Amino acid sequence: MSQWMTLFQKEILEMWRNFKWIWVPITFILLGVSEPLTSYYLPQIIKSFGGLPEGSIIDIPPPTAGAVLASGLSQYSTLGVLIIVLGTMGVIAGERKSGVAAMILVKPVSYLSYISSKWAGSLLLVWFSLFIGYLSTWYYTGQLFDWIPIGEFFQSFVLFGLWLTVVLTVTIFFSAALLTPGMAGFISLAIALVLSIISGALSHLLEWSPSQLAGYASALLTVGELPDDTLPASLVAILLIVILLWLSVFLFKKKELAS
Amino acid sequence: MSLIQIKGLKKNFQGNEVIKGLDFKLEKGKCIALLGPNGAGKTTTLRMLSGLMKPTAGIISFSGAKKDGDIRHLIGYLPQFPVFYDWMSGFEFLQYVGKLGGLTGKEAKERSLELLELVGISDAKNRRVGKYSGGMKQRLGIAQAIIHRPQLVMLDEPVSALDPFGRREVLELLEGLKKETTILFSTHILNDAEEVCDEILFLHNGEIVESGTMEDLRERHQQAKIDLIFRKKTVEMGNTLKNHALTKSILIEGNRISVFVTNIELARKEFLKLISEKDWQLDKFEMSSMTLEDVFMKVVGK
Repeated sequence: MSQWMTLFQKEILEMWRNFKWIWVPITFILLGVSEPLTSYYLPQIIKSFGGLPEGSIIDIPPPTAGAVLASGLSQYSTLGVLIIVLGTMGVIAGERKSGVAAMILVKPVSYLSYISSKWAGSLLLVWFSLFIGYLSTWYYTGQLFDWIPIGEFFQSFVLFGLWLTVVLTVTIFFSAALLTPGMAGFISLAIALVLSIISGALSHLLEWSPSQLAGYASALLTVGELPDDTLPASLVAILLIVILLWLSVFLFKKKELAS
Repeated sequence: MSLIQIKGLKKNFQGNEVIKGLDFKLEKGKCIALLGPNGAGKTTTLRMLSGLMKPTAGIISFSGAKKDGDIRHLIGYLPQFPVFYDWMSGFEFLQYVGKLGGLTGKEAKERSLELLELVGISDAKNRRVGKYSGGMKQRLGIAQAIIHRPQLVMLDEPVSALDPFGRREVLELLEGLKKETTILFSTHILNDAEEVCDEILFLHNGEIVESGTMEDLRERHQQAKIDLIFRKKTVEMGNTLKNHALTKSILIEGNRISVFVTNIELARKEFLKLISEKDWQLDKFEMSSMTLEDVFMKVVGK
């Protein structure tokens, strides 16, 4: 356990030294907060850009607070996912490529600890950034539109965080299984994208897919209640995370560290 | 007592047999040099011993290995080109690997300071490793290899990248380290091996072509040769020695006369007698001891 803490602390410190603790949360704040702000100021924005043609009457109904917050989440499921994948793809593949992984793993370090500490470090960063960003979005939505109940905020936060955790774990898995960070990032992004598209198109067939979690979180905000399939989708997500982590360790262990 | 036994160790890379079956033992407390020209398979051998690479065939048995075959608590390893976390300071890196090697936080700190002092980089301990010079990285690499007091320290070309001063210092460091642990280090520089090691394994084209202690090797490759250096050489000397009954062949270079003889002990007596009888002005009389370089050329050349 103390060895795991040593590894974990190193991850936290590294992210501090390369400023990930600063720029990832800030990006999440900017991505999220831009939604309530642009929705609220859209009429003025249109006007200041020359306005609409004379005589045209286009009534833009003010969106509901739930819809605004949900569109904040949809920012996270596109650009947020991109940031997470790009920020995590090198954590294992990069260390192996540089050779520092061999320096560390020739010490009596457990492979499980090595991988899980990296996973946990990235996990903390993602949840922290999501929390800060989403909380700011919630606050601005409340200020400019209506206040969403704090319970719904937390529920949708956890559901969405679970989906990002799946994305993160997939990235860690490919980072452990492949040799190049770029390849790991590309495949992880492709999988996240394909999963979202497929489960969007076949939503009635794949209610249990973890990629639905993002949609379920938005549904909670717009409709006001959770779809029935939230629980199975969450369980599948957790199961997938555990399996992928285990597979990462398994595949990583089988590889030669020096080549 | 032998620390490791290696039997039939082989490694193929895409069908190429790089290591063609090594058999050797390492005794506890010895310093062994893995000597060979570039491409002989030294690095590959060390990587297999450290577990970074899996052998194609063969057995490596460590005394003291865990049940699942894990030997990492027993070994310290320095790759040829050590890599660190550039954002850490040398002091931080040592503490980090010390703790990973099983030391407590306090022990790791004390041991790191001690090692930084030992390898001579304590002035730079708080500098980021990314700013270290090649020589400093090499020293830090040695420190991290021995921080958890392993039973066997494996160093891949620890001095090849260093300037003469650094080389001198690291060799002295190894000399001191010999008292604490078993050392296996690879090098292609003969003098380094000769200087610090008790035993030598000659690796050539993936095979051990010669091995043994320095004395063994010298004895085995000793040539019956006597070198004579005279203050003033005359033709008479050359001719007399050339026609001597014990002489096989003779080589004359300036004031030096090298005589290859049939029986070195007898030749010593006879030659000394001859020299004093004739009152030749002798500067130096040397029974040849073959240098490692001669052995090296001989085994590699065959």
